[in-house]
Amino acid sequence: MGGMGNRGAAAKVLTFLGERWAALFLLLLLLGFGFLERNFFTFKNFSNILYYATTYALLAAGETFVIITGGIDLSVGFVMGFTGVSSAIVMRDMYAAGRPEAACLLVGAAVGLALGLIPGLINGLLVARLRVPPFIATLGTYGVANGMALYLSNGFPITFLPPRVQKIGNSFLAYLLPDKGFTFLHRPEGLKSKELRSLIGIVPVTVLVTAAVLLVFAFILKRTRFGQHLYAIGGSKDAAIRAGINVPSHLVRTYVLSSMLAAVAGVLYVFRSGIGNFTTMSASYELFAVAAVVIGGASLMGGKGGLGGTLIGILILMTLENGLNIAGIPAFYRYIATGVILIAAVVIDQFTPERKAGGA
Amino acid sequence: MVPEAAASTNRKATAPARWLGRNWAIVFLLLELAAFGLLGKNFFSPENLQNILVACLPVLLLAMGETFVIITGGIDLSVGFVMGFATVVCAKFMVLLQAAGLPPWASIPLAALICLAIGLIPGLINGTLVARLKVPPFLATFGLYGIAYGFSEIISKNTPIGGLPPIAGEIGNEYFFYIVPGKTVSFLVKPQNLAMEEMRSMISVLPILVVIFFVFVAIFAFVLRRTRFGQHTYAIGGSMDAAVRAGINVPAHLTWIYIISAFFASLSGVMYVLKYVSGRADAGSARMLDSVVAVVIGGASLYGGTGAVKGTIIGALIIATLETGMVNLLIPSHNRYIAIGAILVIAVLIDQFFPELVGRGE
Repeated sequence: MGGMGNRGAAAKVLTFLGERWAALFLLLLLLGFGFLERNFFTFKNFSNILYYATTYALLAAGETFVIITGGIDLSVGFVMGFTGVSSAIVMRDMYAAGRPEAACLLVGAAVGLALGLIPGLINGLLVARLRVPPFIATLGTYGVANGMALYLSNGFPITFLPPRVQKIGNSFLAYLLPDKGFTFLHRPEGLKSKELRSLIGIVPVTVLVTAAVLLVFAFILKRTRFGQHLYAIGGSKDAAIRAGINVPSHLVRTYVLSSMLAAVAGVLYVFRSGIGNFTTMSASYELFAVAAVVIGGASLMGGKGGLGGTLIGILILMTLENGLNIAGIPAFYRYIATGVILIAAVVIDQFTPERKAGGA
Repeated sequence: MVPEAAASTNRKATAPARWLGRNWAIVFLLLELAAFGLLGKNFFSPENLQNILVACLPVLLLAMGETFVIITGGIDLSVGFVMGFATVVCAKFMVLLQAAGLPPWASIPLAALICLAIGLIPGLINGTLVARLKVPPFLATFGLYGIAYGFSEIISKNTPIGGLPPIAGEIGNEYFFYIVPGKTVSFLVKPQNLAMEEMRSMISVLPILVVIFFVFVAIFAFVLRRTRFGQHTYAIGGSMDAAVRAGINVPAHLTWIYIISAFFASLSGVMYVLKYVSGRADAGSARMLDSVVAVVIGGASLYGGTGAVKGTIIGALIIATLETGMVNLLIPSHNRYIAIGAILVIAVLIDQFFPELVGRGE
């Protein structure tokens, strides 16, 4: 033990590290995999990481809002499955009925997104008006949404969607043909197979959509009164009420937002895979979403967290998965890694000295 | 923390309303039985009623551990995947011990014991995280949920483990008594050389699994109700501060609680292996929800301090009856998630809004 000054400095260093460990860890992961594996630092691979990160990023973004208010949403993974299945069924049936493809896609996506509001509304009402603990309310909708998805799909993936679904879902913002030039949004026509192979897709459309959605939500959280009120509610519900914030209505909207983002993830999943699939019980999307938010510096007690941190959390989890994958390590190690990092994040948060005394 | 609704609900409840509030779970169970009895075929046959008991085992075993945890005010989200982990470990060791030349009478119990011992590890980790490192129970066990699942997929190489000693399945699916009315009663083995007609009239009584595993339920019901350990569990859930002041070693106690929970999850895994003669990583993935639902239906409050094995058994029976009844009516079993999710929310709402009826208003 040193003197007061020393201890203060040590605490400052610890606080600094404790608050930024996630970004440092991500950096280390990237460097580590980069050194160990030849195919890691390629444009294609990073594009791949982002492509697979979209689903998780959307779910985790919704989870961030909920966790900032001091709640939790366990239903996101199954809401995603439910909306994906519903949207795919609409697309399939309309297409089978001979409607134009564009109409099928638009109506299908709209139905999926609209249905996504319902579980959120139920969660929000249960939590905000009926004072059911968030954990239990969303565990209930987790069961119901999962059951609905299985009921609608009868336990099988929904197939025979209009072919254009997958085409759109897997297109890129731009295509670069080395030495020849760019095209936007559609593949250049009449390419030879050799040229086709050297064609580089830049920014998958799903990544673009996800990024746009996340930007809007980051704006809501950081720059609007609504966003600031969420932090106030998470910090102290009583103080928020005394400050005149309509807490129940804010909470309802928060759970609706979370569910809505899960629906976006569900619809994007349909576009990406060309099928509508229910979420399996062991997919554990909720685990990855919560883990990302907590790794990103949010506290389950509420009042802390942000989309930037959550994004770092998601990138850590996805980089880990991608790196393990390239190294030929079975995918299931990522469940272990995620669990360990989640717990480590909480323990680190626990032992990081607070910058200022006080605060709940 | 007392739900705010508890303070505001201050009406006088009439005696019948109060009785209903306290016993709605039993009433619900009876109504459920009656409904399936009316709609189903042979629902009340001895065979089907015993099927309900067997079906309630996996939920009940997980819910037993969860009861202890929830009474202390915690939650264990890892039970389902710890159960899957246990099935994989147990099945793997049965295969290994069989390959090592051990006879089934040795390899089966030995594998079960090894599995139960290894199954304590996730509990120890959960308990240490919660009790010593002050990680919120929800997050600690959520971490283990991922870790346990990852390990079981790796051990099982992502395929169900088969090739177990067939006798395991006999223990898991046979009965203590077989009665052929007017002819014989035989113990443990099915009577041989029966005519078709007699086969059909044979009644099997007491599934072996139910007997084995209810012994554990009974022991821990006793522990919770009649021992100091049980009293301390309630005390910690009632008020952790008061428990500390009363001289209870709270960290040590909490660690034990999570070990008990993992122990029951492993028991449930052993049961699964005996019943289905295989081990799979996702064997219990749907059961975490069920176990929490059973405990909450049984009258435990998530705020800690209340709950009892009797209630948990009723909760598990409600779920098992639903499952068995749906099979009986040929309804695809995945529809049960809708019902179970809804029941969970309703149970919590009853708990929240009628604390006085439930007998929890101070």
